[in-house]
Amino acid sequence: MQPPRALWVPFPLGRPLGKADDAPFQQSVIQAALNLLHRQTGPVLEDYPHDAPAIDNETPATCPVSFATKTSEPASWKTRLSREIGELAPWYELGRRRRGGRSLVGIADASPQQNIQLLGEQLDNQALPTDFVWLKRAVEDIKAYYFEAMTAQPGDYDRETIHKQFWRDTQFGAAVLSLYRQLQNSDDDRQKMIARILAPREAIGAATGPLKEKKT
Amino acid sequence: MVRLSDLPDYERDHLLSKNMPPLGPPVWTTPTKPLNQMRVALITTAGLHYRDDQAFDFADATFRPLDGGESPDNLIMSHSSVNFDKTGFTEDVNVVFPLTRFHELVNQGTVGSLAKVHYSFMGAGLLPQAYESGASQVAGMLKQDKVDAVFLTPV
Repeated sequence: MQPPRALWVPFPLGRPLGKADDAPFQQSVIQAALNLLHRQTGPVLEDYPHDAPAIDNETPATCPVSFATKTSEPASWKTRLSREIGELAPWYELGRRRRGGRSLVGIADASPQQNIQLLGEQLDNQALPTDFVWLKRAVEDIKAYYFEAMTAQPGDYDRETIHKQFWRDTQFGAAVLSLYRQLQNSDDDRQKMIARILAPREAIGAATGPLKEKKT
Repeated sequence: MVRLSDLPDYERDHLLSKNMPPLGPPVWTTPTKPLNQMRVALITTAGLHYRDDQAFDFADATFRPLDGGESPDNLIMSHSSVNFDKTGFTEDVNVVFPLTRFHELVNQGTVGSLAKVHYSFMGAGLLPQAYESGASQVAGMLKQDKVDAVFLTPV
């Protein structure tokens, strides 16, 4: 992209307006961008000078459910994943009610509960999914379900902590990383591409050490 | 647009490793009227659409029209990249697609009016040239809608 007027903002990728549910702050970012319209020469690239308002860190974010550690669980993937998403259900429903019924779940045709069971069966049978459209949409839907449940807790939450909890502590995070490794180790270029759009570089780096993979 | 210096090392290295072709000469237009007489459209590259629209594919240069009169709370996201935060959008659509904020600006008299239709692309996995056809189409529709300025929110 080569916009004629651009405002650089110090916010995480995915949050161009800075902070959710903070209308005054969002308006200040918009106003700073709209002020660039009055410039007579360009292209313009200007820094937005304020960080997003800090969250309340006095009480560390608590997971709404206690995720069992990966090594102490002898049960099958299907059993562990089904139990985990079941424990999250009341928090997902609470979060959805709190957001006035809004949820990002629904990209896949089947429900997250059905899809997580199917994924668990495939992992148990060591069978790599072959329908990649289904796989991507199922994973994104289940991730949305987890994040909506995990952020339904009262109070503010820290984005990084929630992401770390998801990828480090949940059975589903471990399942996606397992799928990532299997697809990434394949000789098939399409499987490698699918691997890269399942798990973020940050989580792969934390699970495997310094990143060597540089492709999108 | 996020500053490169604010990104984690692995993300900055990833972006700097891309050897992208140079873009054409900068486009520049000086407004001929004040903001409170302008008609503004929103365009996002966040891969947003309504639940019954076709989801974006893994690499996809198409776009989805977003109705300016419909609640943005009905939007969902099918962006294929996993390397940006989606929890902000989960909490509040406006953090990515600030339609409610712009309605407030119109009501305050700061902005003249909003477009009837806004647009969503999915910015991932393709070179800029792939978007040329869709972008030209959108430009034509923005002209038909008498839009004077576009507010672009990349993720």
